[in-house]
Amino acid sequence: MSASKNDILQGTLTLLVLKSLATSKRMHGYAITTHVQRVSADLLRVEEGSLYPALHRMEQQGWLKSEWGLTEKNREARFYSLTARGRKQLALEEESWARFTEGVGRVLRYV
Amino acid sequence: MSWLRRLINTFRPGRLHRDIDRELSFHIAERADQLEAQGLSAEEAARRARIQFGNPIVQRERTRDVDIAGWVDDVVRNVRYAARTLARVPGFTTTVVLTLALGIGANTAVFSAIDAILLRPLPFPDSDRLVRILQKNSRSTETPVAPVRLEDWNQLNSTFEGITGFYTEDVSETSADLPEQLRRAYVAPRFFEVWGMTPALGRGFTQAEHQPGGPAAVVISNRYWRRRFAADRDVLGKLVRVAGTTAPIVGVMQPSFRFPDPDVDAWFPRVNDQITRFRQATWYTGIGRLEAGVTLAQARADLAAVQTRLGEQYPDSDRDITVLLEPLKETIVGRYRASLWLLFGGVTALLLITCTNVAALLLSRATQRRSEVAIRLALGGSRTTVAAQLLTETGVLALTGSALGLAVAAIVGAALRSLASDVPRLDEISIDGRLLLYSLASACVVLLLCGLMPVIRTARNGLASTAQDAGRTQVSTRSAIQWLLVGTQVALSVTMLSGAGLLVRSLHELSRVDPGFEPARVLSFRVSGNYAEFGDYTRLLKRVDTALEQLRALPGVEASATTFSAPGVPTGFQVEFELVEGRGNQGARMVAESRVVSPEYFETLRIPLLEGTLCRRQARDATELMVNRAFADRYLAGRPSVSGFHLANPSANVPPGRIAGLVGDVRESGLNQAPGPTVYFCSSAQGPTPYFLVRTQGDPAAIVQAVRMKLKELEPLRAVYDIAPLETRIGDAFEQDRLRTTLLALFAATALSIACVGLYGTVSYAVSRRRRESALRLALGALRRDIVRQFMIQGLRVAGIACACGLVLSITLARALSGMLYGVSPLDPATLSSVAGIVLVVTTLAALIPAARAAFVQPMRALRED
Repeated sequence: MSASKNDILQGTLTLLVLKSLATSKRMHGYAITTHVQRVSADLLRVEEGSLYPALHRMEQQGWLKSEWGLTEKNREARFYSLTARGRKQLALEEESWARFTEGVGRVLRYV
Repeated sequence: MSWLRRLINTFRPGRLHRDIDRELSFHIAERADQLEAQGLSAEEAARRARIQFGNPIVQRERTRDVDIAGWVDDVVRNVRYAARTLARVPGFTTTVVLTLALGIGANTAVFSAIDAILLRPLPFPDSDRLVRILQKNSRSTETPVAPVRLEDWNQLNSTFEGITGFYTEDVSETSADLPEQLRRAYVAPRFFEVWGMTPALGRGFTQAEHQPGGPAAVVISNRYWRRRFAADRDVLGKLVRVAGTTAPIVGVMQPSFRFPDPDVDAWFPRVNDQITRFRQATWYTGIGRLEAGVTLAQARADLAAVQTRLGEQYPDSDRDITVLLEPLKETIVGRYRASLWLLFGGVTALLLITCTNVAALLLSRATQRRSEVAIRLALGGSRTTVAAQLLTETGVLALTGSALGLAVAAIVGAALRSLASDVPRLDEISIDGRLLLYSLASACVVLLLCGLMPVIRTARNGLASTAQDAGRTQVSTRSAIQWLLVGTQVALSVTMLSGAGLLVRSLHELSRVDPGFEPARVLSFRVSGNYAEFGDYTRLLKRVDTALEQLRALPGVEASATTFSAPGVPTGFQVEFELVEGRGNQGARMVAESRVVSPEYFETLRIPLLEGTLCRRQARDATELMVNRAFADRYLAGRPSVSGFHLANPSANVPPGRIAGLVGDVRESGLNQAPGPTVYFCSSAQGPTPYFLVRTQGDPAAIVQAVRMKLKELEPLRAVYDIAPLETRIGDAFEQDRLRTTLLALFAATALSIACVGLYGTVSYAVSRRRRESALRLALGALRRDIVRQFMIQGLRVAGIACACGLVLSITLARALSGMLYGVSPLDPATLSSVAGIVLVVTTLAALIPAARAAFVQPMRALRED
């Protein structure tokens, strides 16, 4: 809510979701938002409105698979996990992210 | 597979929604829990969670859009909407669907016939390689081939896989209690191999079975197997007793193999004996199978070269012979081609008319919906969306119409089959994938033809011409397109009617023709026999003559005769004669139709004897002939008498015949053929199964039983078949013409009525649009008849111009008909003008009714309405 929290750049959402799911076996949508927020030490915040369309699109593309399950609080939730194709995609996206930040960094360092 | 999942989701929107809702509400609940844990009240936490999440409906829609196939969703929604809209205007929908069903149905039915008869290959393996082979010499038309020459061709050619041949005869089968007529084909070696067919049960013929003294064998047709043996699978080895010989059944053919004709019952191997060496024999219709990749022209050249060599080897018999090759399919279906394409042209014009009619209906509906469309555009609907939606509506109409059209096609197809039972391959018509595809394609064409214009016009009408004018006082400039469409319909109907009219006139002319003989009260039939009877020709003649005498003795019979070919039924056998004058002085060449009849033929058919005496029955050495008036006029003009001259037939090995007398001209080779020079050979039997003609005092059908009883008494083992009054037989010969005429007339009448409905609708529409104008004029003192005249003139001007265009079109297309007409010119002014007259009268009526309605508007009411 506060302006200090970075809204996630479009396109990096996919990378964040893939990475989050790569670290743990399966997660529901809410857990992904909290995970990103926690791991980034509150620097990043997933915009909730974009999350679900993104999750569904990634599932259509075969990077994720989903199943219904129960949380510890006994609520029904949809859990997502990474597929093999998702892992490959993650590698690609990580690489392109690295190139991107490096590029941006070089531009910024140039005096 | 994601597209598949999306497609499934598209058609299960409820379940998808529930899933997304569950997922999203879980998220909100978790968020609320977190906020509550931070110390907010439960209520406040839930509120904040929802605010943070955003509008749940928008979120759901955005998520859902990812999960479905968007365009499919659009189509589904448009179809649903179209169905709902159309259900609200049942009158309009029914009219359009029925009109389209009629147009598409008739078109599909005729196409199905064309497809089954002309387009599909014959039901034999690689049937495009099958050809029919006949021979011709310079003096005669095409004739069958001598067995020995067929064998030569088969051995010497280099372009055929094989050449075989057959001939048929009608014999009686006597293994049951009563003799039964059986049509058998005698076949040359390699018969089934050339067809590429094997029997369904048993085998074909062996080489030994074609040798003299070899074992007897017969292969029976599926039809005969079912009829005579009740489809018994143990039929092999059973005996068939035919014409005094018995043969064991060695095979049963597949049901699809019905060659040479659908009535064939059995195939017998023709034994190569002494008679088959005779090079002058004309027996076999040859059938050849080309080697793969060989063209017809190559095969023709090859066989011509082979025949040239044979001509050098056997100059007497073979020098003069040329080989005739024709694709087998052409032989079987060629003569139906012109009729079928003519009918197809007719139904296609009909489909065009229905399309224009539907287009006009859609246009007027689009005009009614102008304000709806304007509102939608104003509210932000894109033109594409609106257009897609209107097009979907037309698409739903076209598809429903074409589905119903398939049902219409099935009905029309069944009707065709019962009407035209003698057309080959009609039973191969089936409603299958191809036909389905065809009717779908016609639906697409319909969609484009009638849907696009209204759609473009509606979607183009922008906000400018919105509801504000509500068609108030517009003069109907906008309906120019409507008038154009109606004009097209009228013009096409005029063209179709002219075609149908010419065919009707032609049939009428044909029925008025004097055939030169009296076909009424003559019964015709045949008695089974076989070519083996030629072994004792005197006995054959005696048998036929005895039968003739006995028939004449029957009460109610005035005369009886035999003839080799039925009179008045199109057949032809042109032969060249030479006049033998004085001492072997060879005269000029004379080409004439050759007929073989018994002497009583002329009396039985009431053909007048003009000069000389009646010929006598053929004796061993002295043949007697009759010639007709046309022959005498052409070849013997200026001679005091025709009798006494001798005619020789150089191509046949018989002594010259003496002309005994002169008879009147008769249309022997069909009512549509003017009588040409004809020579009658007087013999009761040229073949084993001549036609018997019996002139009766009363109804010829009434004497059938007496004839059968008498012949059974005479020869119990012979079957009487092919029984029909001569008039029926002659009529049947023109069945194709009649059917084609009936169908085209039917299509043309349908076309005209559709065009009239179109004209009626358009005038009504003009009248309703100008109701206020009419009312105002009436109120200001205009006479009712002025109002009527105004609308009538508008309608009639279009009808008149369309009529003229239609006539021009028919004159342009007339050449297509010229081969089908008898006694009428394709530009017959009487027919064309009466068609134009009829169309003008009918269209006047169609315009008069709505125009008259305009004149009876109550001025005050009409003016107050708006």
